[in-house]
Amino acid sequence: MIADELVADRGVSAGDQWITVSAERVRDAMAALKADGYRLLTFLTCVDHLADSSREWPARFELVYQLRNLETREQLRVRSFVDGDPPHIDSVWDIFPPANWDERETYDLFGIVFNEHPDLTRILMPDDWVGHPLRRDYPVGGEPVDFSEEHEKWLTAPEEA
Amino acid sequence: MGLEELAESMGQNVLTTTLGKVIGWGRGNSVWPAQFGLACCAIEMIATATPRLDIGRFGSEAMRASPRQADLMIVSGRVSQKMAPVLRTVYDQMPEPKWVISMGACASTGGVFNNYALLQGVDKIVPVDVYIPGCPPRPEDLLNALMILQERIKAQGIMPRQ
Amino acid sequence: MSTPQGVTITKTGEQGAFGGELLTVNFGPHHPSTHGVLRLIVDLDGEQIRRVKPVIGYLHTGIEKQMEALRWQQGVVVTDRHDYLSPPINNLAYALAVERLLGVEAPPRANALRVIMSELTRLSSHLVWLGTSGLELGAMSMLMYCFRERDTILDMNEEISGFRMHTSYIRPGGVFADATPRFLEMLDTFTHEMPGHIDEYEALLTMNPIFRSRTIGIGRLSPEDAKVLGASGPMIRGSGIPWDLRKTMPYSGYENYTFEVATSNDCDCYGRYLVRIKEMREAVKILRQALDRLPDGPINVDDRKILPPPREELETSMEAVIHHFKLFTEGYSVPPGDVYVAVESGRGENGCYIVSDGTHKPRRVKFRSASFVNLQALERMALNHMVADMIAIIGTADTVLGDVDR
Repeated sequence: MIADELVADRGVSAGDQWITVSAERVRDAMAALKADGYRLLTFLTCVDHLADSSREWPARFELVYQLRNLETREQLRVRSFVDGDPPHIDSVWDIFPPANWDERETYDLFGIVFNEHPDLTRILMPDDWVGHPLRRDYPVGGEPVDFSEEHEKWLTAPEEA
Repeated sequence: MGLEELAESMGQNVLTTTLGKVIGWGRGNSVWPAQFGLACCAIEMIATATPRLDIGRFGSEAMRASPRQADLMIVSGRVSQKMAPVLRTVYDQMPEPKWVISMGACASTGGVFNNYALLQGVDKIVPVDVYIPGCPPRPEDLLNALMILQERIKAQGIMPRQ
Repeated sequence: MSTPQGVTITKTGEQGAFGGELLTVNFGPHHPSTHGVLRLIVDLDGEQIRRVKPVIGYLHTGIEKQMEALRWQQGVVVTDRHDYLSPPINNLAYALAVERLLGVEAPPRANALRVIMSELTRLSSHLVWLGTSGLELGAMSMLMYCFRERDTILDMNEEISGFRMHTSYIRPGGVFADATPRFLEMLDTFTHEMPGHIDEYEALLTMNPIFRSRTIGIGRLSPEDAKVLGASGPMIRGSGIPWDLRKTMPYSGYENYTFEVATSNDCDCYGRYLVRIKEMREAVKILRQALDRLPDGPINVDDRKILPPPREELETSMEAVIHHFKLFTEGYSVPPGDVYVAVESGRGENGCYIVSDGTHKPRRVKFRSASFVNLQALERMALNHMVADMIAIIGTADTVLGDVDR
C-alpha cells in the first residue's frame, strides 16, 4: 500500500477513487503506486481552477494523473496542486513512459514546467506561439459573432479571480 | 502559361472564340486535384473517388500527390495555425492556372470552431473559387462544386485570369 | 517559425553503419500516405531508419478549449469531430461521463441503440483503415470495396440521425431519435451480407504474397513494450494481450453480448491486420444480437431537467415551457466533481475526463486519445526497417490526426 504519509487527502468522485499528494513528493508517490501494481498511466493533464467557487482549492493548477492496475482493473486518480510563475513539478516520464508526450502537451497548453523532462518543447501549438491557450485567463479567440450574447466575452478574457 | 502570353500579345484585337472554347473545354474536363485532405472532409473527398460517386467521370480521377502536377486544390478540413504556412507553400507550388475549392464549413469560415487554434476560413491566405458548406458536405456537394468550377473554367477560355 | 514542407535533406554529420552519413528526411505534413497531417523527421542510414521523430500539431483545433465555452448539451456536437472516423464512440464517452456526474442512467433501449451505433462505427472505421492501408501498399481495389460497404453504413447513419458522418446521435440522457423501421430493415440486410464482404476482403489480402511480404515481420511491438508504452486497441491486442475495454471494463450493456476478443501473437503488421479483420466479424455478431434482442421502451431518461419535453406538451403544460426555456437558454448544470470514462474505439481506449464546477459549462474536458499514445510507439516499431516499411507501419498504427491533435 502507498505510505499514508505521502497521501494528503483521499476521496471518491462519481465512483472514481482519488488521492492527493504534495507536488514535491509526486515521484515517490508514483513509484510507490507502480510497485503496488498500478502500472499503466492512462493520462496526465492539468485543470485550471481560476475563479472556481465550487470549493476551496489549495492552488490554482491541479495536475491529474489517472493510473490503472491491469490485473485487478482498478483505477486511481492522483492529484497534485502547484502554483507559481511558471509552476514547476517533477517529471514522471521515466516511471511511466506515456507521460512523455502528455507532459509536453500540458507544458504547451498550461505552462507547467516539468523538471528533468528530456524534451520540453511545444507539441501542439507552433513553436513561436506566445501564451498557454488552455489557461482560463487566455481568451477563446476566434472571430466575434453578431447577435450572440457571448460574442463580446469571446475576444476579451480574463475571468476575474 | 504560353497561351496566356499569346492572348496578351494579340491584345484585345483578335477574337479567339473557337480556340478559347477548345482550350476551356480541355481544361475544364481534366481538372486534377492535389489531394489536400486535412480532417473529416477528407474522408468524404475520398468517398467521392470511390465507385458509387466516382469523381473520375468528371475528369478528376488523377488525384496527384505532388502539387506541381495539379490544377485544383480542394482544401478539405480545418486549417490550424501551424498548417497555414504549409498550405500557402503548397498553393504557391501549383503552376498556373490553378483553382481552389474550399470544402466544408471549417475551410470556408472556421466552422464549429470559433477559437484561437484555427484559421477562420482558408480564404484568409489563398483565393477561393468555390465554397462548399456542410459539416462534412455530402460527396454530391463536392461534385456539384466541381461542376460549377468546370462551367467557370469553360467560360474563361483563353483569357488570362484577373 | 515552422519550416515549410517539402523534402529537406540535411546531413547530420553522424556516421552510418555502411560508411556514409545519416540523412535527415522530412515526411512533410502534406503527404499522400500519412493518414492525415502527420510530419515525421526520419534519420536514414542508407535505406534503414535510425530515428523517427513525429511532429504533430498540424490539426490542433482547440476542441478542449472550445468545449469550455459551450454548454453541456452543445458540447456533444464538438465531440464528434476529434476522432472523425468514429463519431458515435466519442459521443458515447462524453455522454457516459456526464451521466455519471449527473447520476442518471440511460434506459435499456437507449443502451442497445448505443451499442448498435458503436459497432457500426467500429466497422466503418476499420473499413477506412483497411481501404487506405491497402491503397498505400498497392492494393488499390481495397479502397473501392471497403468504401462501398462504408457507404451502406453511412446510409444507415443518415436514416437514424440525419447525418452521414458526424451524427451527434448519442447524447447525455439517451439517444437523439428512435430507430425507424427502415433502419432496422437496413441493419438486418447488412448483418446478413457483411460476413460475405469480409470474406471478399480476406480473399484479396490475407494470402496475397505481396501483402504478406510487406507486413509480416514489419513493425514488431513486443508485449512488454506495448504495455509499457500504454498502447491500446489493436496495437496491444496484436501483441497477444487480450485487453478490450468492452470485456474488461464493460459499459452500456456490453456484458450481455457474446463476442470474442481478437488477439494475435504475431506482434507485427500482419498480426494487427488479422486482429482488425476478426474484430469486424465480431462486430457483425454483436449487431445481430443487438438487433434480435432490441428491447422496447423509452430512448431517453425521463428527466426534464436534462432533456427537453416533447413538443406536444409545450401546448398544455406551463412547467414544460419553463423547462424548455431553461434548457435552451442557460442549459442544465452538472454537480461539481470530476469523472473519467473510457470506451473502446477502433483505435483503442478513447476516454473523456470531465471536471465540473457546478455551472452550466464545463470547467475542463480532456479527451484521452488512443492515437496520441499509440503514436509514441511508432519509433519503437520503425527502428532498423527500410523507408518503404514506414508506410506500412504508419498504416498499422491507424492513427487519426484529429484525435492526436484535438
